[in-house]
Amino acid sequence: MEAAGQMKIIVGIKQEIRASAVAAVLVLSNSALAAVQPESGLGLPRDASQNGHLVDWLMNITSVFNIILFTIMCVWMGWACLKHNRNHPAEYDPGSSKHSVTIALAVSAFIFAIVDGNLFVNSINDLDREYWNFEKVAANPKTVRLEINAHQWAWDARYAGPDGKFNTEDDIVTWNEIKVPVGAPIYVELTSTDVIHSFYLPNFRAKMDAIPGQVNRFWFQAKETGDYDIGCAQHCGTHHYKMKALLSVVSPEEYKTWAAEASALAKRAFDPEDTAAHWGWDWKEL
Amino acid sequence: MGEVLPYRPPRAREETTAFLGMVVFLGSWAMMFAALFFAYGFVRTRSVAWPPPDLPGLPWETPAINTLVLAASSAAIQYGLRVIRQGASPKLGRALLLTVLLGAVFLALQVSVWTRLYVEGLRPETGGAYGSVFWGLTCFHALHVLVGLIGVGLLTRRAFAGAFSAAKYLPVRLWALYWHFVGAVWALMFVLVFLL
Amino acid sequence: MHAEAHPAGVHPEPTSFLRRYIFSTDHKVIAKQFLWAGLVFLAVGGSLAMMIRWQWAFPGRPVPLFGMFLSRSGGVITPATYQSIFTMHGLIMIFFAITPVMIGCFGNFTIPLMIGAQDMAFPKLNMLSFWTFVISLILITASFFVQLGTAAAGWTTYAPLSTQIGTPGAGQTLVVAAIFVTGAATIMGAINYVTTVIRLRSPGMTYMRMPLTVWGLWLTAILNVLFVPVLGAAALLLFLDRVFGTQFFIAGAAGVKGGGDPILFQHLFWIFGHPEVYILILPAWGFISDIIPFFARKPAYWYRGSVFAMVAVTVLSAVVYGHHMFLTGMNPLLGKGFMTLTLIISIPAEILFLNWLHTLWKGSNRFPSPMLFALGTVFVFGLGGLTGLYLGTIATDLYLHDTMWVVGHFHLTMAAAAFLGSFAAIYFWFPKMFGRRMNEGLAKLHFWTSAVFITLVFCGQLVAGYAGQQRRLYDPYQYTFLSHLLPLNRWTSYFAFALGISQFVFVYNFLSSLVAGEKAEQNPWQVGTLEWTLCPSPPPHYNYATPPVVIRGPHEFANPDVIKALGRDWIGQTEPMPKVAAAAIKPAAGGAKD
Repeated sequence: MEAAGQMKIIVGIKQEIRASAVAAVLVLSNSALAAVQPESGLGLPRDASQNGHLVDWLMNITSVFNIILFTIMCVWMGWACLKHNRNHPAEYDPGSSKHSVTIALAVSAFIFAIVDGNLFVNSINDLDREYWNFEKVAANPKTVRLEINAHQWAWDARYAGPDGKFNTEDDIVTWNEIKVPVGAPIYVELTSTDVIHSFYLPNFRAKMDAIPGQVNRFWFQAKETGDYDIGCAQHCGTHHYKMKALLSVVSPEEYKTWAAEASALAKRAFDPEDTAAHWGWDWKEL
Repeated sequence: MGEVLPYRPPRAREETTAFLGMVVFLGSWAMMFAALFFAYGFVRTRSVAWPPPDLPGLPWETPAINTLVLAASSAAIQYGLRVIRQGASPKLGRALLLTVLLGAVFLALQVSVWTRLYVEGLRPETGGAYGSVFWGLTCFHALHVLVGLIGVGLLTRRAFAGAFSAAKYLPVRLWALYWHFVGAVWALMFVLVFLL
Repeated sequence: MHAEAHPAGVHPEPTSFLRRYIFSTDHKVIAKQFLWAGLVFLAVGGSLAMMIRWQWAFPGRPVPLFGMFLSRSGGVITPATYQSIFTMHGLIMIFFAITPVMIGCFGNFTIPLMIGAQDMAFPKLNMLSFWTFVISLILITASFFVQLGTAAAGWTTYAPLSTQIGTPGAGQTLVVAAIFVTGAATIMGAINYVTTVIRLRSPGMTYMRMPLTVWGLWLTAILNVLFVPVLGAAALLLFLDRVFGTQFFIAGAAGVKGGGDPILFQHLFWIFGHPEVYILILPAWGFISDIIPFFARKPAYWYRGSVFAMVAVTVLSAVVYGHHMFLTGMNPLLGKGFMTLTLIISIPAEILFLNWLHTLWKGSNRFPSPMLFALGTVFVFGLGGLTGLYLGTIATDLYLHDTMWVVGHFHLTMAAAAFLGSFAAIYFWFPKMFGRRMNEGLAKLHFWTSAVFITLVFCGQLVAGYAGQQRRLYDPYQYTFLSHLLPLNRWTSYFAFALGISQFVFVYNFLSSLVAGEKAEQNPWQVGTLEWTLCPSPPPHYNYATPPVVIRGPHEFANPDVIKALGRDWIGQTEPMPKVAAAAIKPAAGGAKD
């Protein structure tokens, strides 16, 4: 009886330590009280990422082409409506002569080649060289690996800790806050336990669905420090609109200090019986 | 050309139209079953074990018999079409009756398969994707067999009452097509779900 | 008129009120039934849209007028209610507004008349399709009165959110059932349209002499026949998951024995869903491909090219669906394949555009309301189509996926173009359908207000999406990076309210013209297709007494020989040239090359 009572007290204390460890991690990370800077104007949100400029460039050049095409269409329509009105005799041309058909096909092919072709080639390059180039990211020694578990309606994140293995004692687990070093690739695997969510970093032009029963991956790299919004980009229920989190990009030194302390705290507070907290998985290489 | 055709086309042309409508209708159903088979293929290829451990495997013997039963019933209704082209309405009635009986045998054997698997512990709500696919596909197909039984059953009654003749048997053609379709879907299901 | 005096038609003239107006097998009556149902639900769907816009303009404030339906929360939209509002807005607009108006009404009305038939191939099936549709309306309406509310998983109904895990209760189940039933009604109608065009074209009406309206509606019907069943399969499996506890789409913590796969739902849904967007635009393309030549008084430029373009889009529509799923973690090769095909599908659309623009060029353009709406459709579809390029390209979709850019894109191409295209059809065929004219001044007012405001509203959505605003957010300003968008959203909402109010011009015009509009002559638009040249406004129940014998295509305008011989710039499809000029008459042999 005595032993059982003592056991209960020990378990109780362990739970207390774990709770305060989580709190400590949050306090440590909130050291400079986090503030996401609001945007202004009607353009793209500021780009804090290494590769976002690829996306921005592609969107903008396509917009240039589209504005040209749309203007041509409007001028053509406007001129035809104003000048070729009921006082203008209609031309009896069914447009089916070989000459007309050739021009129609040639113009379509030309527009397709320039606009669609540009989009296609650049997109494939961007994906192969950067966005979907996981070999490069996996091989980079600076890469920070992160597992994210999405659920209604918050984001859990897990870092492997010094042992480099996920779901072990020294894992750092955070809730709605992700701290990463600037200038290093952040390699993310993500899943969900309930419905489909989508991890969205507007200032990094990055987004990936978190799907129950499946592990997806993506990566990003910050080029400047600061605090940024994390959003959910897939309707996931009543509080989809509130499923936001904070991305803190800090200097590599600050990150190292934080990671070491947080990992040590986590190790002390580790409770092997709390299976719900061990939601991590062995990192899936490609 | 140049003379005006009568608006009421001869019966043969109307029957072609009805037959085409039936083909389009079955095209839709084929797409629906194709989607269901796609769903089956999708969850099966993404599953680790099929069947999952400690769930009963699917038998192949009774379903094989069922495949023969449906094939025979298709032969019966096809024979019925042949005899009505020669005007033998009572013979058609007997052929259709055989089709209905064989269809009923199919359903009875299906029920026996369902019962056995249910007792062995394969339930729709606890069988995961495996149980869902088995129950979903077989029940949906059986529903189509039931509809076919009712339709052909009504035709049987009309045939015995002398409603069809060598010149007038369009409903038999249409229901025969439906019945063959249902049999073909079963054959595919037998191979893909029970054998593989 | 007695039944015996007519030749044996498809069905004798109905006599009772029930047979004439309620349980009618006459395609023209069924068309009107679909029109009424569709317009009523267009108003319902539009009202739901107004509520969304109110929430974004004035978050948390009680909604005027519609707040009376939200008495439990004092007229305020709660997060839970908000989910149902945007879900039902999408479902209602697609399945219960645009589909019945464009396909149910105009498919039914125009196809038999324009090909010279007396009715559809299967009139009783036609009647059944309308009443099956009514059953789905009952199911949808019932879902609003269920305790936990109606469907709330978005119109896309993604699993597992749409299963009992994400959206418990009978409301979502009723809506899934309603979708299955309305799919059945659509397929019944589509079987009719496909068979009728193949089998009931009158002598000389070759495929290449059919009005482009019929082409658009026929290709739509083919897509409906092939792909609505796939939606049926998705709905069936979701229904089984919800009601019988199966696990087709459930995974994660709730999965049993590994569970099913949520992505399976997305595959099934989008295999239907992408063809569906072409289903919703092909009829509009058909309408405007006829209306523009009609009022340019000029042949449709490269008719064959437009036919090939519509056929190409129909064929390609099935193989581009993966572009809705670029961020689900699919195999990269598959993703690139879908991207390639998606970009290719822009080529037929370019051809159609060039043809429309070329038809206008050097025409003798006049601008009655159908023409204005047709040109408006060209405008918004051009804008919307171009915005789709960014979404079909994976690198740019990485940022724009599930933002308001997507919403702006599909509202411009689907909502605006189908909306304006439907009104082009309504204003164009109203005289033939109802035997009366609508007020042209009010029609033009309706056009200008609708076109301007609809463009502004959906451009506002594009801008919000470009700034990164996600879809379906009850309160976007929760996010710091979106907090500055309140003025943008508020202005977009003002334009939306203006768009809503300007529809009353149409309502008044439509209703008052029905009862007191001036009587319409047989061919007020002076065009050559069969329904205008060969039967009065409105047509008798048998359409044509004898099968029309067609000798030319539907857009014979500005032919100098015709002008010389007949003193007008058009000639009917069955009308012989008074002087025997061999060049103008095409032999009535079926399958003649055109």
